[in-house]
Amino acid sequence: MNTRIPLLLTFSLLVAAAAPLALAQKTPAAPDPAVVEEMDEYASVPISDPLERMNRAIFKFNDGLYTYALRPISKGYVAVVPKAGRDGIENFFNNLLYPVRVVNCTLQGKFSRAGLETGKFAVNTVAGLGGFIRVSDDVPAFASLPREDTGQTLGVWHIGPGPYLVLPLFGPGTVRDTVGMFGDRYLSPLNWDIQQNVEWYNWKVRTGVDVVNGVQRLPGTFKTLDAVRKDALDPYIAVRSSYFQYREAAVKQ
Amino acid sequence: MNLRLLKIAVLTAVFSALRLPAAECAADSHEMLKGAVNEVLAIAYDGSAASTPLSQRVRPVLEKYFNFEVITRKAIGPGWSQFTPEQQASAVTLFTEVVIRNYADRFEAGDRPGITYSAEVVPDPKRPIVRDVPTTINYAGKKYSVVYRVEKGAECWRIVDVKIEGVSMIANWRAQLNPLFQHGGAPEVLASLKQNLSNSVAK
Repeated sequence: MNTRIPLLLTFSLLVAAAAPLALAQKTPAAPDPAVVEEMDEYASVPISDPLERMNRAIFKFNDGLYTYALRPISKGYVAVVPKAGRDGIENFFNNLLYPVRVVNCTLQGKFSRAGLETGKFAVNTVAGLGGFIRVSDDVPAFASLPREDTGQTLGVWHIGPGPYLVLPLFGPGTVRDTVGMFGDRYLSPLNWDIQQNVEWYNWKVRTGVDVVNGVQRLPGTFKTLDAVRKDALDPYIAVRSSYFQYREAAVKQ
Repeated sequence: MNLRLLKIAVLTAVFSALRLPAAECAADSHEMLKGAVNEVLAIAYDGSAASTPLSQRVRPVLEKYFNFEVITRKAIGPGWSQFTPEQQASAVTLFTEVVIRNYADRFEAGDRPGITYSAEVVPDPKRPIVRDVPTTINYAGKKYSVVYRVEKGAECWRIVDVKIEGVSMIANWRAQLNPLFQHGGAPEVLASLKQNLSNSVAK
């Protein structure tokens, strides 16, 4: 502690000596270091967006697609299917994604969480009528399990997010999460080839299931998107910033 | 005797008035946050006053519990020191309005959300006056993680940032305001905030 005092004094003297010189040179006002230090926690994380022009174009295209095609479908779904039904369908599809969660928990070394996911799946499938009722909410250990996916696993493995990528229809993402999306598709039972064992699960049924799954996700997706972009000065940047923060928080979770 | 009583009464009243701001401060960050959230929710879910825009109704409460000067300064970033005092005052006024409108937009008609408070965290041991208070909001059958960053000023704890599902309000605004500042300095930032307010309708 005592050795700090001479250092501080020396530093103060240097600063005092340098001050008139700086004034004489009329250098432009630099940000106050104390203020900069205090604000560092919010310093913009460098986001790699080398394809910004293309991304912005796809962002605009998606806007049109959402406004003229998908939002009307979403509104129709909300109008036709009562809330209890929508919740049940959402719960069912979320429950079905158990392999995605449990495999990624395991790949991330979160073995106890993988066990909890298994318990949650068992409870919801058995007591929740195949997953339509999320009875796991009544079990404190199962109630707040964060979602896990392959993109997060790659992040936990210290693979950086890579450039920002806006995909047609799918929206914001990164190269890492796009690769992860393929992993999730592979792990999702919806994409497993089970027709050999389940005869009635032909391509017509499978397409129908895919459509219902896609439509049931729309209201939640638009709610999130609207919350981020409404009142934004630059919706593209607002969505990009939110996406990166959200995904980084998910990786750390 | 009556005169003495009167003097005591007057002195007591004066001291009480002087002590009022300190007495209004919550003892700890949790207590402040719970008070703030309860007051906001009481207003937001009070159907009887629905004719006035919600942003107007919650404004006094938010101004009491949020430190908008700090929020604006951090949202603008290091460029803040290059704003003139008039530009800084203007930025705080405009940004306060933007944040209040944005905050009011988050509320939806329906059931009042349930909120669970967790133990506070000191994110940086070098700055113990800054705390993160994690909460879980249970709304319409879904759970959302909301972390309030609070900072102790001269006397009171006040909210300086809100992170919803890991997304910081300040970081998000910084990402948008910084390019504007880099491009056109303080005038462009202020013009964009004005434009934003003129485009949006208070809920």
